[in-house]
Amino acid sequence: MMRTMKIATVTAACWGMLAGAGMWPGMTGSGWAQEELPEGFVAQGLPQAPAAESVEAGKRVYFTKCVWCHGVDGAGDGPGAVRLWPRPRNFNVGTFKIRHTASGQLPLIDVDLFDTVSHGLPGSAMPPWEGILTDQQRRDVLAFVTTQLVEDRSWQDEEFEEFFVLDLESLSPKDATSESIQRGSELVVEKKCIECHGLEGRGDGNAFNLKDDWGFPIQPADWHKCWNFRGSRQDPYNVENIFRTFSTGLNGTPMPSFADNTSVDERWDIANYVNSLCERVMDIAVPEGQVSGDTAQQLADGEALPIDPLTDKPKSNFVIPSKFVEGDLPTEADDERWNLIRRRWIAMGGQITHKPRNFVNRIDDVWVQALYNETHIEFLFRWNDRTKSMQEGEMDWDPTEVNLDDYGVREQTPLGSSFDKDPFHKESIAAKQNRYAVYNDGIAFQFPIKWQELPAPRKPRYFWGDETFPVDITKWTADGTVAVYEGTGWDEDFTEVDFAEEVEVVKAEWSHGRWTVILKRPLKGDYDEVAYLEGGKYIPMVFFAWDGHNGDVGRKMAVSAFYYLVMEPPIPTATYIYPAFIMLGVIIVEGWVLGRRANRRKAGGQV
Amino acid sequence: MTWLKLVEGYMPMQMISELGLSILVFVLVNWALHRSGMGIPKFWAGVGVFVFIQLYLKYRIYPPIPFSVRAIYGTVSACGIFMWVSGSEKEWQEFKRPILNVMDGITNFHQSVRTAMLVVIPLALGGFAYSSFLPSFEEPIELRTVHPAPPATTKVHGKTFVLQVVENPYRVNADGDYDQGYTDARIVEQAMGRLMKDVNDPNYNPWDPNADGYIKYVREGGEIFFQNCHFCHGDNLNGRGLWAYAFNPIPANFTDAGTIAQLQETFVFWRVSKGGIGLPGEGFPWASVMPPWEQHLTVDEIWKVVMFEYWHTGYYPRTWD
Repeated sequence: MMRTMKIATVTAACWGMLAGAGMWPGMTGSGWAQEELPEGFVAQGLPQAPAAESVEAGKRVYFTKCVWCHGVDGAGDGPGAVRLWPRPRNFNVGTFKIRHTASGQLPLIDVDLFDTVSHGLPGSAMPPWEGILTDQQRRDVLAFVTTQLVEDRSWQDEEFEEFFVLDLESLSPKDATSESIQRGSELVVEKKCIECHGLEGRGDGNAFNLKDDWGFPIQPADWHKCWNFRGSRQDPYNVENIFRTFSTGLNGTPMPSFADNTSVDERWDIANYVNSLCERVMDIAVPEGQVSGDTAQQLADGEALPIDPLTDKPKSNFVIPSKFVEGDLPTEADDERWNLIRRRWIAMGGQITHKPRNFVNRIDDVWVQALYNETHIEFLFRWNDRTKSMQEGEMDWDPTEVNLDDYGVREQTPLGSSFDKDPFHKESIAAKQNRYAVYNDGIAFQFPIKWQELPAPRKPRYFWGDETFPVDITKWTADGTVAVYEGTGWDEDFTEVDFAEEVEVVKAEWSHGRWTVILKRPLKGDYDEVAYLEGGKYIPMVFFAWDGHNGDVGRKMAVSAFYYLVMEPPIPTATYIYPAFIMLGVIIVEGWVLGRRANRRKAGGQV
Repeated sequence: MTWLKLVEGYMPMQMISELGLSILVFVLVNWALHRSGMGIPKFWAGVGVFVFIQLYLKYRIYPPIPFSVRAIYGTVSACGIFMWVSGSEKEWQEFKRPILNVMDGITNFHQSVRTAMLVVIPLALGGFAYSSFLPSFEEPIELRTVHPAPPATTKVHGKTFVLQVVENPYRVNADGDYDQGYTDARIVEQAMGRLMKDVNDPNYNPWDPNADGYIKYVREGGEIFFQNCHFCHGDNLNGRGLWAYAFNPIPANFTDAGTIAQLQETFVFWRVSKGGIGLPGEGFPWASVMPPWEQHLTVDEIWKVVMFEYWHTGYYPRTWD
């Protein structure tokens, strides 16, 4: 009885959501008849119950590998859960995100759950277990989870369970032509996708009011980072993954299934558009989500970023090239001259070295470009941030202060690690996500002062330098200020440098979930106070980013590894002269060889 | 196509066997073709094998090998092919015949090939010279010592530990005495996936509510690990955590036989307590984001998490004898 109620409630909630969003296709009654299957779906029977030995073997796998996050009872309340966002899944109610089955239905164990365990859920802490657990071990653990930990439903329950499966094999993807992409861009407005995912698809539409089925805050996906899509299956640019998620929805989240109010053809258009928004080698602007024919063509032609198979993220390159330009530096982000140079993808992790640690970094990457002229260097930073954060009122501390413990800026301590001690995990990081005091967004980069004198490979510490080798930190904050500090250690207060007066904020704009900040600073200042930038050298550089709505302030921030800025000098003339000489030499040798050969033949020699 | 993937850690063996097998297949096919009178001309066979090896090295091998190494392999394979085609005077004549034909321009076709070669060779060499003269800024290679020599003593939370004599206070037998033999016998099985032998035996399952002593400390260590360490070192302790992609040096992979498996437990205790910032210069203390865990954990918590790492990976700490 209890179970029936629960299913009814869940189902009603799902339909209610659809109806509320004005997407309800007008279905009556409680069950689906075969002929009412949404387009592209086929009905399938219930799977067989797993063997008892498999369940037993799976239990051993579970209690070695999975229990730490998913908990003893599979309620998603293992010790890891308190500091994770997104949270580990609670298996008890049988709600799973990535499925080929219709909304509200259980997933296919040997396809959906098996792929989830094998490929992990990117953007969350769930890693790919392929290569760690054997195929059999993965099947065993699923046998255990689906029979022992899913309590409220059963794959063998003929009375209540049905499987309407998206038949992807019979639906070949539609080519991602500019027409398809353009139609998709119109459909995402019509189908109200943009209400949550934002006009330009950066997940900024309704970033703060969404909750999952358990009441924890949840964010809409950022379409520009397909490698973070939970269902990307280690194959992020594959449009079928998007088509599947869009067709079946994500159970347990506000993402509904669109199978009932879109045709298969429309779903391919939307999937093609969403896929085309995922970052490519070149930045492609989709202002306000308005996609003209030209833009659609650019989106269709965009070259995918190379993905690193070890991390399933875009490949990193630790050299940031900067090119020389004549005259004034660009004043806008759409200046043609930025195309002289490839943008670099800077991966950002949470700062977890010193307190207060940042266990959830909402900024996980920053795009950087740099150009320079005789006197100045200019950086173009772009990073996705669902919210523009500006602190209300004055800060209690001086901007040079770095130890903010006394002002109440502390890291989250793990309180109860199970629901017994902290029912509903109110004290967990996930529950507190949208309840932080709001500070300023910001970005900063550091160079070693007098980097020319560093004995290789020594560098100042990545975290604001050290006593022996201080750094200069250029920091922009969303209140519009830019400052330059001298840093001598992670817990040493900054010293302000008046070089800041010469640093110019050329542009700082937040638009549809993305910051664009252009900073210009002189190449040279006081040699003893700031880094003296020179061409043709590797200048170590570290990046820091703050998301004010994540409660980021002081040391609570996102941080990068060491990168190198290289201001590429103009190409020397020798580069053109030597190859010309070499070509001339080769031609002479060729003539000599052929001449000799001809002479020998004439002389009746060997042929 | 999983079977097509290169197996991690076995790349050299796989490369040699795959290349060997392909050449064997080629030799057999070539022999059969010759028997049936449709043999591939010697010249094209030689060029084909060379190109195949180069393409194999460039596109099949992962992680990719640098051009300089491919050039060495290329020279070796060219020498091998040269020996093969010049095995006898007859074969050598057969091999150079197409080259001489082009040089002599015996037909119109050969003449046009000769003209094309006259243009293409200088252009190709000139282009190669240009690209090698063009200043390029590749990522510099910096070699870091992953396991530098530890100090004799380390001071954590005001207490001095002599690394040679200190013992993990939680590595205890049923009587509560330090006993590595006892805990080694209760470590998880050394196999793929490294799993517990019998989860139903209360002595083995850290999650048994009645678990006591060593196995309970393992669970406590695991709780600390999964609230602090997994962000970088990963849910399987293989160094592929949530943020592993952002950091350089990359987080240590404890499941690799080259990390904690070849270290003493006290070394790991020192590394965990002092973190990246506590490394000597050859370990690049400025670049590591490893926290000095004494700032976040108590001495007891550090010992427990170290023990958990051994338990979960199925390795035994090295001992002094």
